[in-house]
Amino acid sequence: MTATAALAPAQLLPDALNASFKLVPSIMVTAMLALFLAIGYVFRVADTEGLWVAGRSIGNLENGMAIGANWMSAASYLGMAALIALSGYYGLAFVVGWSTGYFILLIFLAAQMRRFGKYTAPDFVGDRFNSDTARAIAALTTILIGFVYSVGQARGMGLVGIYVFGGDYTTMVILMMAITVGYLALSGMLGATKNMAVQYVILIVAFLAGLYVVGYVGGYSTVLPQIEYGAMLDQLSSEFTEPFISGGFYLWLATAFSLIVGTCGLPHVLVRFYTVESERTARWSTVWGLFFICLLYLSAPAFAAFGTDLYAQAIGDPYGTPGMTGAEGDVIVVLAAQLANLPEWFVGLVAAGGIAAAIATTAGLFIAASSAAAHDIYTSIINPEATQRQQLLVGRATIVVLGALVTVTALDPPALVGELVAYAFSLAGLVLFPMFFLGLWWENTNRQGALAGMTTGLFIWFAAITNQVLPAYIGALDAMTGESGAIVPVFADVFPAIGAALAGTPIVFAVTIAVSLATDEPPERIKRIVRQCHSPEPMGQQQSAEEVVANKTGESGTTADD
Amino acid sequence: MTDTDTQRSDEPQVRSDGGRDGSVDYLNSEVNIFKPSTPFMRDHLRVVWAMFAAWALIVFGPVTATYLATDLMTSVTVIGFPLHYLLTAIGAPLGALVLSLVYARKRDALDEKYGVDHSATRQSTEGTPAADGGVEK
Repeated sequence: MTATAALAPAQLLPDALNASFKLVPSIMVTAMLALFLAIGYVFRVADTEGLWVAGRSIGNLENGMAIGANWMSAASYLGMAALIALSGYYGLAFVVGWSTGYFILLIFLAAQMRRFGKYTAPDFVGDRFNSDTARAIAALTTILIGFVYSVGQARGMGLVGIYVFGGDYTTMVILMMAITVGYLALSGMLGATKNMAVQYVILIVAFLAGLYVVGYVGGYSTVLPQIEYGAMLDQLSSEFTEPFISGGFYLWLATAFSLIVGTCGLPHVLVRFYTVESERTARWSTVWGLFFICLLYLSAPAFAAFGTDLYAQAIGDPYGTPGMTGAEGDVIVVLAAQLANLPEWFVGLVAAGGIAAAIATTAGLFIAASSAAAHDIYTSIINPEATQRQQLLVGRATIVVLGALVTVTALDPPALVGELVAYAFSLAGLVLFPMFFLGLWWENTNRQGALAGMTTGLFIWFAAITNQVLPAYIGALDAMTGESGAIVPVFADVFPAIGAALAGTPIVFAVTIAVSLATDEPPERIKRIVRQCHSPEPMGQQQSAEEVVANKTGESGTTADD
Repeated sequence: MTDTDTQRSDEPQVRSDGGRDGSVDYLNSEVNIFKPSTPFMRDHLRVVWAMFAAWALIVFGPVTATYLATDLMTSVTVIGFPLHYLLTAIGAPLGALVLSLVYARKRDALDEKYGVDHSATRQSTEGTPAADGGVEK
């Protein structure tokens, strides 16, 4: 399924997609990108509070949309329909994992995180476990997640870019990434949040319009394609619905579980709760966010069904030989609109939605990574005296460097958009989720436990990726793989790269708990901060749990921090 | 099962003043997900665990049933869908959304029960000792 950059666009994408310069769609996409830049400029930020947490001023509905846009990347817009079309019932593990995880986030983490009230995910880990090493590990994990996740976005943007502007894959990836990086370095989180609401509207309108029109023109559906596609399922190849063909029961569970805990461990998702005005807003905006996400997630299987049927009619059996390629699958949403003979401008609209989705998520990821570098590594560890100006500079430099690395890697991506993104989820679920969960729900989790747990999680993830993904890149490793494509097939069965968290996360929990029990309890001050996160008493908009604790204990006579 | 605020004789004073002036000292009550130490946490965790169980059933129930009874799940058809496909593709996401809504409402009801009002946060009027704020950033 690996698509190599060396292929010409005509080979990378099917002829039916007609990859060449198209005037009207080009104007539409260019106008959209100009709009993002303009919004970013208007809401540009001059201080770090604005760059990272949007001044903690965002309301319910707006944050709900931002959660939606931040969340729905090229992996949702393009990749999910691709996985459903290519892998049938197994693809639904992605629908389930990427939506239902928000419920766990809501009941266990969202409001408590808002009460903790810091700036970034590594901030939480560093302050909660009172350790700069833990902070650094969390920060590096955040940057690594941003990197792996964004490679998928760049691939999606590149493929859609070819359809709109023609040209070759390499040029398109570079062009799209350059625009994203430029806009981000300019606008920061406040601009990015304001943009996310706009981007959500664009992507959901484009996706739903595409689905309704394709369904109607193709004679598949009328008012509710999200349900009506059921009636056509028996006309599709049995591969579309039959369970456990392209992935067994364990892999299904592992994938869904990994995506769920990954959802709860992703720094760019978490930071959305730091931007809201109160913990109640944190809860309700999660509900809104899940609603906005469901609009697309209930529609993607329908789009996949229509696309698969159109593909079978126009090109050939998607499951036969040669069958649908990975690159074709990754643009099935656009391809379906094209195969339904819709006018060019309309196909352009669907394509533009895909680009909006990719840019919005890349924005969230890069902001999270840049704050990890500037705030958590540079300011907290290297140079505590750093001025706002220096922090902004380091933050922006990180965005540019990361953008360059992502661009280079995306030129030869190792997997489908959806799969690439799932690797990042495995990582978040293995390393960060256990720290968030235990850190908030068990006050005796301590520094040693956290360090041991995170190291274990990182080790499992790197082992799984080295086992299954890297051999495609590194000849020496490739020589060691057998027919299954993994160096140690048994390890790949238990810890598949895409779902390493099912077996791995419980191990990380166990290690963290065991080491915490075996070593000293955390200091009373830290315990109080955790308790403050669970108290029902309201807090000030700009207050963190730490400040409340310092004030209260200061009054009752014990020594406060300063 | 959660809104039964019957016979909790130790709570009225919590309700009337929201525990704000220290009738419950939240900063000195242990946090352990399995050992709730305050009435609020007990009530909250009861909601959390009940809903977590419902969620686990909605999310992992259909696929497990499909694995155990493949023929049954794939042969039953509802509005055109094989049952396993319907429950997974539509049942799980929609179920999670409904559960989220229910949880957020129940949590608001808990706030009301304990006299918590989040509308005051915007003016950051902390009723507590922090006269000097600590709010400045």
